[in-house]
Amino acid sequence: MSRIARQLSFIFASALFVGALVATAQAKDKVKVGFIGPLTGGVSANGLGGRNSADLAVKLRNADAKAKYEYELVVLDDECKPNVAVQVATKMAADKEIVAAATHYCSATAIATVDVYHKFGFPIIVWGAVLPDITYRAKYAEVHRVNGTMINQNDANAALISKIGFKNVAVIHDTTDYGKGHNEYFSKAFAKLGGKIVGTFGVTADQQDFTAELTQIKALNPEVIYFGGLTPIGVRIRSQMDKLGIKAVFDGTSGIVSDAFIQGLGPLAEGSLAFREGAPTEKLPGGKFFMENYAAQKYDNPPEAYGAFSFAAMDLILDSIEKVGPDRKKVIEELANVKARDSIVGKVTFDDHGQNTVAVITKYVVQDGKFVEWDDSEYATGKRKLPGQK
Amino acid sequence: MSEVMQKLRTPLLPGVVALALSTAYLIALLAAEKQPLIIGLLAFAVVAVLAAHYLGWLNLVSRSFADREDVLGIYAILAACVVAAFFHDNHFVLLLFVTVLLYTVATLGLNIQFGYAGVLNFAGASFFGIGAYTSAVLSTYTAVPHLLVLLIGGMLAALIGSLLLLPVLRTRGHYAALVTIAFALLLKTFLEVNDVLGGPQGMQVKGMSILGWSFNDNFKIGKIEMSFYLNYFVVSMLLLTGTFVLVRRLERSWIGLNLDALRLDEIAASCFGLDIARWKITAFLLGNFLIGIAGALFGMVGGFVAPNNYTFADSLIMVSILLLGGIGNPWGLVVATLIVVVVPEKLQTIQEYRILLFALVVIMMLLFRPEGLLPRPVRRYFPGWRA
Amino acid sequence: MDVGLLAQYVMNGLMLGMMYTLVAVGFTLFFGVLDIIKFSHGDVLTVGAFTALATYIGLRSAGVGSTPLLLLAMLVVAILAMAVLGMLIARYLVMPLRSAPALNTLLITLMLGTVLRELVRLFYPQGANPKPFPALLPTASINLGQFNLRLDNALMLAAGGLAIVGLQLLLNRTKLGLAIRAVAQDEETARTMGVNFTAVVLITFAIGSALAAYAGIMNGLYYNEINFGMGLYLGVIGFAAAIIGGLGSIYGAILGGFLFAALQTIGTVALPFASAYKDVFAFTVVIALIAWRPTGLIQEKISERV
Repeated sequence: MSRIARQLSFIFASALFVGALVATAQAKDKVKVGFIGPLTGGVSANGLGGRNSADLAVKLRNADAKAKYEYELVVLDDECKPNVAVQVATKMAADKEIVAAATHYCSATAIATVDVYHKFGFPIIVWGAVLPDITYRAKYAEVHRVNGTMINQNDANAALISKIGFKNVAVIHDTTDYGKGHNEYFSKAFAKLGGKIVGTFGVTADQQDFTAELTQIKALNPEVIYFGGLTPIGVRIRSQMDKLGIKAVFDGTSGIVSDAFIQGLGPLAEGSLAFREGAPTEKLPGGKFFMENYAAQKYDNPPEAYGAFSFAAMDLILDSIEKVGPDRKKVIEELANVKARDSIVGKVTFDDHGQNTVAVITKYVVQDGKFVEWDDSEYATGKRKLPGQK
Repeated sequence: MSEVMQKLRTPLLPGVVALALSTAYLIALLAAEKQPLIIGLLAFAVVAVLAAHYLGWLNLVSRSFADREDVLGIYAILAACVVAAFFHDNHFVLLLFVTVLLYTVATLGLNIQFGYAGVLNFAGASFFGIGAYTSAVLSTYTAVPHLLVLLIGGMLAALIGSLLLLPVLRTRGHYAALVTIAFALLLKTFLEVNDVLGGPQGMQVKGMSILGWSFNDNFKIGKIEMSFYLNYFVVSMLLLTGTFVLVRRLERSWIGLNLDALRLDEIAASCFGLDIARWKITAFLLGNFLIGIAGALFGMVGGFVAPNNYTFADSLIMVSILLLGGIGNPWGLVVATLIVVVVPEKLQTIQEYRILLFALVVIMMLLFRPEGLLPRPVRRYFPGWRA
Repeated sequence: MDVGLLAQYVMNGLMLGMMYTLVAVGFTLFFGVLDIIKFSHGDVLTVGAFTALATYIGLRSAGVGSTPLLLLAMLVVAILAMAVLGMLIARYLVMPLRSAPALNTLLITLMLGTVLRELVRLFYPQGANPKPFPALLPTASINLGQFNLRLDNALMLAAGGLAIVGLQLLLNRTKLGLAIRAVAQDEETARTMGVNFTAVVLITFAIGSALAAYAGIMNGLYYNEINFGMGLYLGVIGFAAAIIGGLGSIYGAILGGFLFAALQTIGTVALPFASAYKDVFAFTVVIALIAWRPTGLIQEKISERV
């Protein structure tokens, strides 16, 4: 019995084996494109918004009868952690079927993965990370970016703080390259305008307790606390500031422009400053088109701050594939020639490092539970005053 | 006389058949992409193994492996090469395979510490990370030849492990567990806040290159494109073979006997004149050395090291692999590592739930089959010799 | 250093210490009674905190607005729920493994902790994100120079102290406490004396888990935020605190908890890089302490059957 049974099981296994081979050998006329973003974790709202936007771009293209290929979006989650990002980036880039991808919201992850994309010759367009080094550290033909870098953002930040009359600032930043970048550019810009940085504190991206740093900051008595980091710790720092009775202005970056920031703090968020490259989504050239189509798809999450950029990035990728076919090398060559290309975020031009220039910087202040543009706010007119503003 | 000493020839066939089937199955599993197919394959495997168990075939296979291990070992190496050759241009599958190989080496090191000597080490991933960071630092800042870097990685891991020797030797049970747990947390925090070693952003690691042959370039044999991961596969395979042979020989030698005595009853062992401290130190350092080498090579394969890769949770995964496979049984380790590394990657639909499912599986194992999948058989002094 | 600043640091240290102690006491209770380390204690704390948050949200949407009532309801629900959870864990996961090597129990509770954490992350709506926890205690504060004494911190400190004192009284002055101490000392003899072993174990687990829920709510009130990973960190620190204090001794747990908090605070103040290295410092000292006193500061009485 056992001999026959053994033979049978061997045949069975071989049959399965062959079946497996057959299943994987099916012909494909689909083209796969990728998306990587933080779908879980503290900044998942931005990641999900970006994913939905990229998905919208693919859906609209698939609905277009003139498109040459049928596109499939492969989505991977980088959890806003550099090591996970490298793993998923390797996975996506190693998969020969995926032609190109729109990647990363978190700068920490984007800077970690540029070498991976270069190693595999995989073209990508960054849609939400603002660290300049991502495109400028090395000249990789594979790496492009549609959104702006943090340099302009921090220039505008320093300028506003200076204009209001604040001279002493304490800096808290997270120790990833993102926070360190913000610290570097803001400190330089602020010092140039004659301001004084009374203290700089580095904190880890998942730190819970800031009483130590904040107690030291309290002793230094700054007028403004500048925070270079993302929403989860922004929320914690702001609420612990209140617990310790620190009455400085909370000045953040694009990392806190998210509904999660306001939801996490409630009334404490009032009077917080933030800055972001690009006009608010509604004021973008293609903003209305984007918002209408986005709403029509009935996604669970809003596009958040960088959804429009994700859409633009994916659209560019799809345009390139339409033009030159699903070939990584040809797509890289095509993306190198992007000059004054129209997109929903305005005209996109990639410089020799693949970086697009976004001139407009939007200044936000939280007023009555919403991010309001500074110039439209009651703080600018003087009706309300920031803590310590004269 | 010669009859007594004649090795009874246990049939080789069960082992060979099992190996062949497993190889075919592994290739099928790694090649499959569609989710229903993968789930079907996994279900088939579970059913097949249970059936084999009840029909008594598993017993035949394990006898075969136990007695004819040297030959079957060679066949196993061949089988691995067949798998690698099959996927010669598939980057991701090869990467997965190399990950399995290196994790097995690391867990074998852990096995020496825990399976043989009974020294609790909850910081396995931390020593892995020490090896990885060593290769990152040395390859970035110095021109030390890469093979030497592997050795230095191992030695550094052993060296840093020796800092923990005093607490490890003086404590028993739960207190001993705390020492390595505290160290795991300590190291991760240290790596995170330390800017010199890259902080939370981590460091890039240059690919390996031996005598000018760069491991990070794809190459061709004749007209066939080969993934560059094949280079790493060869080195990993060599490392794994060496480690496996070492661990087996160690187990069978008088050193292994001492370690077993130490683990089973420390007081009785010391009554017999065994130097407890000496053997614990040997096991601990040797284990860490192996883990460090594996870590150094893995750093080069992945090209990236970051503190978040080497947390306490990762150490727990290594200990769980040890438990799942059967503490003290190297073959069990191989199987368990394959399961733990390959299955979550393939089952994309459960990506979100993989940690939860993994923890549940370990809990089930601990409740219902604490000896593991392939429990360690009673000590054999000469393979093939029937007492 | 300015006295007010010093006082602020001391206050921070005391708050942390109180939370660590509550967790450490749980560990020590479980060890005393069953000779096991229940590593999922920290994650029971997380589940307790989330249960309280869910209760709060549920009651708020049902229209209940009174703060003391909300707080009371949250406490009651979370404590009862965690007590039940603790008992279930004891009955089905820990007691069956009593004859197995200690490592198995350690691993099973570690894995259970992972399961609890993942369940919260996956099944609580948006569990992966940190959740704001309502501030339900009065937030008045008194400013004494650099030192800002907040009423809610003082209240929590007092409440934590009460819980620990209450536990001590329970253990030393009641019959139940007597039974718990008897079982902790010698299980067989306690059984021959008529103590219902299973009942005592279950009740001990219930008490420990209730304390965890209490600590979880305190944590949420202090930081105004809870997230699914908070239990892991607190659990390990509670474990470390219980160990350096000496397993099996309540006083040891208290000592260990405050000692660890003190180490963290000293690390923050004394080292030049703010709080970056505080954990490295604290854990190094823990390892050194264990090397010096292998069974904790308040020595556990170990006898081994040869």
